[in-house]
Formats: sequence, C-alpha cells, structure tokens
Amino acid sequence: MSTDVVSKSTLKKEHSGQSRLSAFGSAFVAGGYTMYPVLLILVIVGAVVAPRFATAANLLNILDQVSVLGLTTIGLTFVVLIGRLDLSLEGIVGFAPMFAAVTLVPVAAGGLGLELPSWAGLFVALGTAGLIGFFNGFMVVRVGLNPFISTLGLLVLLRGGVLIISNGRSIYSPGKALTYLGSANWFGIPVSVIVFIVVAAVVGLVFHHHRYGRALYAIGGNEDAARAAGINVDRVIWSAFVFAALLAGLAGVLMTGRLDSTVTTQGQGIIFSAFAAAVIGGVSLGGGRGTIVGVVSGVLLIGVINNLLTLAQVPSFYVQASTGAVIIVAAVLTTIASRRSSGVRTRT
Amino acid sequence: MDNARPIVEMRDIAKTFGSTRALRGVNFTVMRGEVHALLGRNGAGKSTLVSTLSGYVSADTGSIRIGEVEVEAVGQNYAPSIRKLIAHVQQTPQLFNLLTVAENLFVENPLVRRGFGVVSHKLMLERAAGLLDEWNMDIQPRSLAGELGAGTRQLLEIMKALSRGVPVMILDEPTAALSNAEKRILFEHVRALKAKGVSFVYISHHLDEVFEIADTVTILRDGKVVKEREPVERLDVETIADLMMGEKTVRSTRQDFMADEAPILLQARGIRLDRFSEKDIDFEVRAGEIVALAGPVGGGKEALAMVLAGQQRPEDGEVISPRGKLPTIGLVPTDRHASGYVGILGVRENVAIGGLDVLSGKLGFISKGKEARHVGRLAQQTNVIASSLEQAVSQLSGGNQQKVVFARALCRAPEVIVALSPTRGVDVGAKEQLYSLLRDLASKGLGVVVVSDEEDEIDQLANRVVIVFEGHVVDELVGEYTIKDLILRMEGVV
Repeated sequence: MSTDVVSKSTLKKEHSGQSRLSAFGSAFVAGGYTMYPVLLILVIVGAVVAPRFATAANLLNILDQVSVLGLTTIGLTFVVLIGRLDLSLEGIVGFAPMFAAVTLVPVAAGGLGLELPSWAGLFVALGTAGLIGFFNGFMVVRVGLNPFISTLGLLVLLRGGVLIISNGRSIYSPGKALTYLGSANWFGIPVSVIVFIVVAAVVGLVFHHHRYGRALYAIGGNEDAARAAGINVDRVIWSAFVFAALLAGLAGVLMTGRLDSTVTTQGQGIIFSAFAAAVIGGVSLGGGRGTIVGVVSGVLLIGVINNLLTLAQVPSFYVQASTGAVIIVAAVLTTIASRRSSGVRTRT
Repeated sequence: MDNARPIVEMRDIAKTFGSTRALRGVNFTVMRGEVHALLGRNGAGKSTLVSTLSGYVSADTGSIRIGEVEVEAVGQNYAPSIRKLIAHVQQTPQLFNLLTVAENLFVENPLVRRGFGVVSHKLMLERAAGLLDEWNMDIQPRSLAGELGAGTRQLLEIMKALSRGVPVMILDEPTAALSNAEKRILFEHVRALKAKGVSFVYISHHLDEVFEIADTVTILRDGKVVKEREPVERLDVETIADLMMGEKTVRSTRQDFMADEAPILLQARGIRLDRFSEKDIDFEVRAGEIVALAGPVGGGKEALAMVLAGQQRPEDGEVISPRGKLPTIGLVPTDRHASGYVGILGVRENVAIGGLDVLSGKLGFISKGKEARHVGRLAQQTNVIASSLEQAVSQLSGGNQQKVVFARALCRAPEVIVALSPTRGVDVGAKEQLYSLLRDLASKGLGVVVVSDEEDEIDQLANRVVIVFEGHVVDELVGEYTIKDLILRMEGVV
C-alpha cells in the first residue's frame, strides 16, 4: 500500500515532466542496449555484402572467437565498476594456463617434472589465476597502491614469467582437462560459447539482483557513501580483483583449448580490446555504471567487425586500424547516448 | 580627510546558495586601522560575508569598494581585481602539506623571485627564517607543512597572509586551533599592524577575545545586519547574545520520550579521541532519548559521533552495550554529498545499500518484492518526494536527498541513529519533517544522537546536550535549558 503512494506520484510527474519516449530512451541506454541496434544494422549489412556471413556456422564461429575476449571483459567489468582497473588480466590469460601446462607435461615436453594428473589442469590454472587476483587485491587494499601501476607491473612480470616457466617454448597438447572447455562441442555448439553465455548470465544476475552486485555499483558511485552505509568496502574491492582474475584465467583456459597448446604470446593485446569492449558497452571507467548486457554488446561488436572485415578480404593491416577507428566511433556514440539520456556527464 | 573615509564599503550584498538565502542585502564598512568584529550565530552569514569581501565566493548582487578599487557584483569572479588589497585567513588552514614551511609562506610571492620568474630558494629560506624568528616560532623553514601541529599550521597561515602587506585582513576564527601562548603572539602582531593602519575583520566564537581585541562590532542574524558598527565598549555579553538570538518564529519544540529507567543502548567508556586527549570521555545513549553533541568546529563532536557509530577507531577506550551485543546503528553522515548518497543511482538502490543483508535471502540474492515494499515504506516514512523510486538521487533537491540518506540509515531497522548535521543545507519545510521524524523514532524507543552547529536545531530536538571542546566533554545541559544557556556554552563563554 505504501508503494502505491510513491508510484502514483511517480506517474503524475512522469507524464508532466518526461515524455514516455524519453523515459524509454533512458531505460534503454541505462540497461546497456545502446549498441544492439548498431549490431543489428551491421549484421544486415554483413548479410548483404558477404553471403558467407549470415550462415549459422559463421555466427557460431564469431561467438566462439569472442568467448575469450568476452570472459576477460566480464572480469574486467568487476574492477571497472568499482572505479579501479586491472591490466594484469592480460598476463593471467597467458600465465595461468601455461603454469598449469608445465605442471602437467613431462620434462621432455617442456614441463617442470611435476607431471600432475591430467584432471588437475583446470584447477591449477584457475587456482593460479585466483592467487594472482588475491595478490592484486592485497596490493590495492592493504598496501594502498594505485591499481594502474601495481597491475601494470604485474602484467610485465607475468609476461616474463611465462617465458621463464616455459623456457620460451610453446607446450602442445597439455592435457584433456585443460583443453576440454575450449575444444569440445555439445550438440554442435562449442562449449566455449556455452561457458561464455552461462558466465554472462550468472554475472548479469549477480550484478543486478545480488547484494554483492549492489555493493559494486554503490562503491563505484561513491565509495565513502558505501562505507557509511555499512558495506565492507575493502572486502568487496579485494574480491572483485579475485573474480576478475578467475574469469581471465578461465578465458586463458578456453584459448588453450582452442589452440590445443599454451603459447608464450597467449592473450597479448587482449586487455586493450577488453577495455574497448567495456567502454563500447557503456561501462564507465569512472565506476558505478555498466551492465553485462552492454558488455556483451561491446564484445559482439568487436567480434562482428573483425569477422566482417576478414570476410570482405580487407588486408589484415587495415583490419587492425579499422577496428581502432570503430572503437572510437562506438565510444563516442555510447558517451553521447548516456549523456543525453541521464544528463550526467561521464567520461568513459 | 582620507582617514575619515572607510577602507572597505560593502553595499546591499546578497548571496544565495541553492534555496538558502545566506545574505540578504548586507551593508558593512571597515575604517582604517580598526579591528572590526563580525558576530552572529552559526549560519548567520558571517563566513559568507567575508568570503564575498575577499572574492573567495562571489556575491550575487551589491557593490564592494576596497581602497580605490570598486567592484559591482553580478555573480562573477572578482577576486583577481582585489587580490593586492585584501588577505583572507580561512577557518581551516589552506596549506600545501607536501611543501616546506618556507615554500608555503612565499608561494606566489614576488619578493623571492629573481629575473624571468625564477624563484630563489636561498632568498626564500632567509626570509622565512627571519619571519619565523619575528614570530618567535621554533620551527625549521625546511620542515614540511603537513608535519606541523594544528596550532602552528594556523599561525603559519596567518603569517603568510599578514606578510603580504595588504591594507585589509580577514581573520575567520583564527584562534580555534591556537594555544594561549600562540594567541598572545597573534594578538601582539594584530595590534602592531593596526598601529600601522592595517584594518582587520575578525570573526570569533569567543566573546572574551572580541572584548579584548576588537574596536567595533557588527552583528548578523539570518543574513541581515541587526547591529551595525557598535563600539565594543557599549556592549556586554548579554546584549550580544540577545541580538544574535532574535525573536523566535513559531517552530516545533522538543519533547521528552525517555521513559524512567530507560535502558542504555550504547555506552562509550574511557574514550580518547586522539593522543593529545588528557581526559576520558564517558558517554551513554538511552532508549528514547535525543542527545545532542555540540561545540566549536573541530572540537571533536564529529569524531566522537563517528566513534559511537563504529566508523572510526578511538585512540583509546571502547564502545559497548550493556546487553552484550552492540545494537544496529544507522548513520547519517555529516556531508551528504561526500558520503551520504550515490548520485548516479536511484532512490531505491540508495536506500537498499543501507541494508543489503536484511533484504537478501540465503544466497545473497535480493528479493525484488521485499526490496520494493521495504524501500517504499521507508520512502514514505521519510517523506521522500521523487518522480519515481528509480530517479537518480543527484537530481533531487537537497531536502529530498537528505531524506534518502535518512531512509538509508533506517533500512536495517536500527536501534540507535547517529545523525551528523542532520539538516545542513535543507529548507525549512524539510527541516521540520526531519525533526518530527527524529522525534517519532525516539518515541518508538530508538536512541538518537544528533551532532549540530545550529543552536535552534539542538533546542528543538535534544533533551540532553553534551558540549565537546578540544576533544573533551566540558559541559552538559539536561532537561529544561534555555537557548540562551546553549548559545553561551557554544560560544565558549560559560
């Protein structure tokens, strides 16, 4: 009954002050749907321009391709939502599966000689990732380092670490448990796609309906207010780094599965695409704003554009440059849309 | 003759902050070589008036003349045009913590420059050493400003301003952080400069200081002058208090909801707020009582409240409850913009973050229906007016933002409410609504702790007033006290 009172005054004011259309527009942008019309247009254009584009096989291929970027971006979103960043995620994508691989394979194949049973691979990879995330959280929360510099340092360290533990060589066929998720198919659908969708759905629910997600948004919007409201801010920040790292580790495992090997350059450059995808998807680098629906749109946009340019046989040098241009255009669109709809100036 | 002409003339100065009319057509004049005390209660407009004089805040309308420079205020910044004529020492020192004492003293000062704007460190250190010597201050010119004590910092700020050689000086509560010895040094310098023809505008909450140093007194009330240029000899403490207070408009009055033998909800034992504290603070909150913490700015009342709310660790001592487990505490922080609400989130989400644990189920997921009902009820209890519960809190008026902060504090069904400056920057209507909310909470058996700078507010709410000064509890008013008792204690007279 009490809610009735509030919602009645709601309706009155909304009719006088705000048109229904602009209310819909605000909800559309806030929900992270801004880029979906653009995606739709791209898919239609693609279908017309390149006949091979709109086939089921190619669309699944796109999803398969973006699953690694997708998981990394979702991980990144945890820390960006609280107004931090984590560059070391790129290092984790390479390091976590490599570390698992060297504990599995025999010395002759480049391993450390531990020769753990094959089933342990996945757990070692994720455990490594989790520990790295814990370290990041420790550095930011306890030591008080700026996450930019602490995770940048760690990124460079992990890049070097990959070379040390692997002796600079790739490791082939590191074991079923490590490669299964990135190579198997269920009902003709790559498991990596299913993993991406499930993770996106679960994280989306957590962000929206779980107290943890609410705490993330509150901290990103105003850390002091969150603290005064009784939220354990330090613990949430710390755990966000752990979740981010775990998802980056999972992304690395998917990548290893697809290649059936761990490569020393694995994941290189992915953090830039992840930031781009997040921003395109409407995540504010200042914290407090962003949805998984939006993040997925950003990831898909990058995947579709890459795919289209390749299908259109654009020379590969141009692919990279045009992706960059598209990122800028999309970020501008997102920023303008969110400014128009909410009246709040955010710098993305 | 030139000396007969005032050095400062302000006419019809008006200034509005949001919905608050801080100054409503104020005239103010200062003569050459005069110490002019500006008095008034908190919120009367003293600091705003001197800020418009120095240009730190731009007046909306009115005219200002300092010496030969005339400014017609239209709401635009005019500080640069009067910079050479006036210096303003603010309530809190504006020093660069990471620069040295010498650098702080001579920042932007042409005296230490050589050709092409190059700053000479040698010259700066020499001059700084000389200046410190002149003020009898035993600190190194090379030590960092951030490492100094509060009194020294305050004095440094005053030295910086005085050494600029301007004809008009504003001192806004200059002695708040000073020891008695430091105060003597300051007064000596003020007298010496006054003899040289420098004029001072002096704001203080300590009336004894005013009688000691001031020549002339102007009293403000609610943004208007109630006594202009009265020689200090013709005034006494009683008259000043009456003038500052004025007649009351009809307002709600305090009520006593505390039952006899009301249980103690929260108890602070042996609290020391910082390592300079010499006495323990013992303090308790009972069910159904509204207790106010009052005292000068920086005196420790906020710190004590934050300790009670569990947001700050005291230097020593503990906060306990006689029942064992500490009660749930709802906090209304002092500055809602800084730590009260999350501007980009809606009303619903802002209220809900106050009680995420009670709104969520076993797995931590929040039940939508439960949240909507709970937040809706709280929004109604606190009278939040918004276009919908999803409207961003940054878009609401100050009063409604504050109500959201109250709703958030109530989200967990607390037994104790700690509210710091509960109605700062809130219009009269919303103020009364928040007062009746606090009374309502007390009548339901909650313990309410209010920290306030406003005597009216305390008078309207609190059955018990605890005066906190320099980190100690120095006085207490219980039951039937008059607002005059209160004002005199808050001004440090009694």
